[in-house]
Amino acid sequence: MNKSLIGLIAVSTVFLIYVTGFYTNFQSDSALEVIDFSIDKPASENSIPSNPDRIPLYGDLHVHTKYSFDAYIFGVTATPYDAYKYATGEAIKHPLGFDMKLREPLDFYAVTDHGFYMGMIENYADTSSEMSKKEWTKPMHNINRPENVNVESLGERADLFSSVLSQAIVQPYPYWHPKLWKAWFTNNIQVALKSFDYDVHKSAWADVANAAEEFNDPGNFTTFIGYEFTTSTEVEGGNLHRNVIFNSSNAPIRPWTRIDSLNPEDLWTWMDSLRDKGVDSLAMPHNSNGSNGQMFEVETFRGNPISIEYAEKRMRNEPVVEMTQVKGTSDTHPLLSPDDEWADFEIMDKRVGSRPPTYSMPQGGYVRDAYLRGLTLDWEGRGNPYKFGLIGSSDTHTGAGGFDEDNYWSKAGVLDGTDMGRGSVPLTQDRIDMLNQYADLYNQPISIQEIDGRTYADVGFDQWSASGLAVAWAEENTRDSIFQAFKRKETFATTGTRMALRFFAGFDMESIDLDSEDMVKNAYAKGVTMGADLFSQDNQTPQFLVWAQRDKLGAPLQRVQIIKGWVESASGTPKEQIYDVACSDGLLVDPVTNRCPDNGARVNISDCSISNDVGAGELKTIWTDPDFDPTIKAFYYVRVLENPTCRWSTWDSIKAGVTPRPDLHQTIQERAWSSPIWYIPESGELNIIPL
Amino acid sequence: MNLRILVFFVIGLLIFLLDIGFNAEQDSKDIYISDQELTSLLSAWQSQVGRPPSDEEIVNIINNFVQEEILYREALLLDLDQEDRIIKRRLAQKITFLKQETIPNDPSQEEIKKFFEKNKNNYFIPPTYSFSHHYFSKESNAKERAAEAFDEYQTNGAELTGDPFFLGKNFYQNSEDEIKKNFGALFFLAIKNLAINEWSGPHESVFGEHIILLKEITTGFYPPLEKVLLRVQQDYLSEAQEKAIAEYINEIRSQYRVIINPDYKF
Repeated sequence: MNKSLIGLIAVSTVFLIYVTGFYTNFQSDSALEVIDFSIDKPASENSIPSNPDRIPLYGDLHVHTKYSFDAYIFGVTATPYDAYKYATGEAIKHPLGFDMKLREPLDFYAVTDHGFYMGMIENYADTSSEMSKKEWTKPMHNINRPENVNVESLGERADLFSSVLSQAIVQPYPYWHPKLWKAWFTNNIQVALKSFDYDVHKSAWADVANAAEEFNDPGNFTTFIGYEFTTSTEVEGGNLHRNVIFNSSNAPIRPWTRIDSLNPEDLWTWMDSLRDKGVDSLAMPHNSNGSNGQMFEVETFRGNPISIEYAEKRMRNEPVVEMTQVKGTSDTHPLLSPDDEWADFEIMDKRVGSRPPTYSMPQGGYVRDAYLRGLTLDWEGRGNPYKFGLIGSSDTHTGAGGFDEDNYWSKAGVLDGTDMGRGSVPLTQDRIDMLNQYADLYNQPISIQEIDGRTYADVGFDQWSASGLAVAWAEENTRDSIFQAFKRKETFATTGTRMALRFFAGFDMESIDLDSEDMVKNAYAKGVTMGADLFSQDNQTPQFLVWAQRDKLGAPLQRVQIIKGWVESASGTPKEQIYDVACSDGLLVDPVTNRCPDNGARVNISDCSISNDVGAGELKTIWTDPDFDPTIKAFYYVRVLENPTCRWSTWDSIKAGVTPRPDLHQTIQERAWSSPIWYIPESGELNIIPL
Repeated sequence: MNLRILVFFVIGLLIFLLDIGFNAEQDSKDIYISDQELTSLLSAWQSQVGRPPSDEEIVNIINNFVQEEILYREALLLDLDQEDRIIKRRLAQKITFLKQETIPNDPSQEEIKKFFEKNKNNYFIPPTYSFSHHYFSKESNAKERAAEAFDEYQTNGAELTGDPFFLGKNFYQNSEDEIKKNFGALFFLAIKNLAINEWSGPHESVFGEHIILLKEITTGFYPPLEKVLLRVQQDYLSEAQEKAIAEYINEIRSQYRVIINPDYKF
């Protein structure tokens, strides 16, 4: 008895020493060391114009360059500097040699290379490097020598993409395993990996930061130091990727990556610690559509119930979600919203990076569903971890986002830089041979398919999109002003179109004259805007003010919709409803169906021309929810639809002089989504709900 | 950890190297690390990491350097440098750097001045426009309402007022590019030719009609050299470098003959 007690004390003492030893390490963690990356630049003499009513600033916060392990394998040699040049309007080269240029410059941009193995592949490929002496780097040696950046290298590259991934990823241990504990507490486990060179990694990160500093031009063009935290769930490979951006020149000496931890909660802990040191940052999840429903789970990464603390921590660090990008749009899925006629829009239903391509379960993978789940969790008293705003971005891997359907290069460099590679145009015999040869050579699944008697590449790129943009309502084009807009969630997402969208709610909106030049000033004074909470005032019915303006170079607007979601108080059932609130061409919403009549806009598929005489330059209205219940929490967000236009795959086939693939959507309706406004009822006595 | 360990390490290394050296038969096996080299190794480390290396890290840095040097020499002995594209490119790069460095780092004021005069257009500050506008939405008879409002203003002095515009009413010192971005090219054509401080309109844009008051144009101008000296110096240098390399290649090229199989099928 005594002996075993002494034994127990001894063991626990040793264990304590062990743990505190690691904890000390944690305290001096390299990922918490902050570097000032700022560079000396002559300060501008001009004052920065500021607008108290705020202006919409358009940007892309998801851009990969050669430093990303996959981009380099895709043949990309564009640097972060090239990427920023592209954003300011210069043309840069696609790996296959053609020019990529924006129709109009962007207002802000962030290069966000994968933090995990940042800079390493370029280092393996460089035969003068230390790493390249290792046997297994051989297939990568000089992979991007100019004469090898071509379509013929596609098989080799696709193989590297899958083999490098499996080679480099640390196999995660279950949560109880001491090695995982060690990974958590020493906090720089990557250094222990044989395939990793910390110096190369750090200098790649420093170069990313330096490029951002060099191009940041307050008042004209804003950049953010950032990277992608590329994590996934352990068993199913559910995509949990998020981008992290920092609000100043001060950033950590290295990115926190999936090698540090797969658990997003650890990322937030790290971000919280940096915030305590004065370095503010935010993380933006993306491709929830490819998460197999795990991006917006109703439990935590470790399978624990969601708590108020979890919800607060998540919302503190992840105020906005990238809901549309090249790998599809995550508004909602036809299976989740059977009554939404516009739900079948740019659906990408595969888990990100899965080989062979594997179906991704929609439940928990789309933002509308997440908002409903958030309300349900809140209803259970667990807090709302899904009260986020909306943005889009491109996720390009060529340094240059492609936002226009008629000028599209997808994102994976050599792999999908051609129409045949993307699956929009039938393959020629030599390309068929090449793909078959590749399947043989690397023991890969057959990647061609027969459709209507013609042969196409079957690689999943046909589900990808020329999307999207992040738009921030900011006083001025500076880092801080834009960053604060993200924190307020005063943002909207677009599919690449530069339409503009205002959204306000309040109890005295009706007194605002929609035709007055002071409309916006009054709306700010009398209500709340997108991303905010609207608190009940004596159970009055609120009014919503919506105002949308077309992209001057895009198609005119067709309709404005408000999407409402709530949890029924009697049954706890989540519900959604879509209301058309403004129609183009003077048409009126049918009060029974809540829909605008057809405005007659059509697309000529033979040349992609569109109806010129229908559609609106702007749409504005004040709307009241006909089914409003003042006692129920609800969210409201706006969706604006343009008249239909050709999808990129249709443009590809027209340019190639072939008929479009019959199984793909030939047209799309470009759109924008606002961050929601949440209505919060008065917290009266507790409602006891029978279960 | 203190310096003593480093001293022991260095002594050990020296003995090791001396040993190698004495056993060498033909090629020298000395690896001599100069003070300069040490300084540059350590400062490279510091610039990457942001702090000076610890003693332990210094040991590692030197170790890595030595290892690299040894492998490099062994590779040379095996002629591994022959026909390697990366090495070729690196050497070609090095000679271009060399040629670049022959340019005097501090060009005379005279030269800078001459360069500036020649390339003045690169430093031109474009004109800006400050203006207010009243907007009439295309959605509701923009043309008629704008014309009427302007007429009322001109004949009866009625107050001008229009619809709300997404970006507001007042614009301060916008360049041509900004105006085109916000309103489209058509609108810029109109504003370019307006008289100052005089309401004018209606003028068309993609969004509808506008009655515009141009308040101020800052004329484009060539800034004095002092204002852009830093940029001019940089541009001068990079041009001079490019020129030097081009000249060098041109000069040497004539000594080379390029032979390609005329029957080769491209």
